[in-house]
Amino acid sequence: MAIESDQELVQNTLTGDLSAFKTLVNRHEGKVAGVVRSMLGQTAEAEDVGQEVFIRFYESLGKFRGDSAVSTYLTRIAINLSLNELKRRKRRFSLFASDDEATHVKAKDETHDLNEMLDMEFKRLEPEFRTVATLRLVEGYSTEETAEILNLPMGTVMSRLARAQKKLKEGLSKYLET
Amino acid sequence: METKNEDLFLQSLDGSVTPEQKEMLTHELAGDFHLRKSADQFLRIREKLKRSEPDSFGPFFAERIINKIKNLKQEVDYQIFFFFKKYQVAVIGVVVALLVLNIIFSDNLSIRSVLGFEDQPKEDTVAINLYQDLIN
Repeated sequence: MAIESDQELVQNTLTGDLSAFKTLVNRHEGKVAGVVRSMLGQTAEAEDVGQEVFIRFYESLGKFRGDSAVSTYLTRIAINLSLNELKRRKRRFSLFASDDEATHVKAKDETHDLNEMLDMEFKRLEPEFRTVATLRLVEGYSTEETAEILNLPMGTVMSRLARAQKKLKEGLSKYLET
Repeated sequence: METKNEDLFLQSLDGSVTPEQKEMLTHELAGDFHLRKSADQFLRIREKLKRSEPDSFGPFFAERIINKIKNLKQEVDYQIFFFFKKYQVAVIGVVVALLVLNIIFSDNLSIRSVLGFEDQPKEDTVAINLYQDLIN
């Protein structure tokens, strides 16, 4: 049986074929999970956001013209919903900001390996830096694709990427020496 | 100066550099230990960040999505049903109210009067006998 293209699956879904949509979900779950988990971490909200990404995609299928690839479209939704979740989280925990800082300091004092510290420092990046770093450095999109997904000029993406990497290097200096 | 060279190094990884810039960067990397160390640290960070295997939301994720969509569809159907139901109830209410008003204000309780058709008293009917008129 020939493998159906994303566009064909979208068309079939529009005619009411939910199994076609299920194939689309299975095909793109990895990408969406990668983006959402990188933005939000391994949290319970990450799966909720992941589900919301596909529900939003399903609801907007009628408007999907196929100008961009399904994966790019889904990544864009995943980034936007993750940013919304980060804003919500910030509002929710604004009262406990000092706790977060304390956790970070404590973590630095304890023995952690580079992977754990990198994870921690990555989460400390401001959302605009985390977004470009997720797409370019974690998911492996090219700088041009990252700019297209985020609808940002290339120069902005490049400068944010450079700043994100410098911040990470600065935070990990102790661990990178070894 | 070091920051400038660091920026150029990062630019070479994420964007494009001119042949002159590339040559300059190679020269700087060869002669500057700190820049070399810094470049190596950037490369280590990038290597660690790169996703090595596809992520997942766990088993039956697609099934959960499909169930959610089905539930959403059902919810929308209910909303549409209740939206029209509301108007149906309102129309029936008005009809019942009019019937009640007719019953209260009509002189007798015949079905015709309840439905709003006035009963014509027999004495008011005018007999028209066309045949008789023609004879006369």
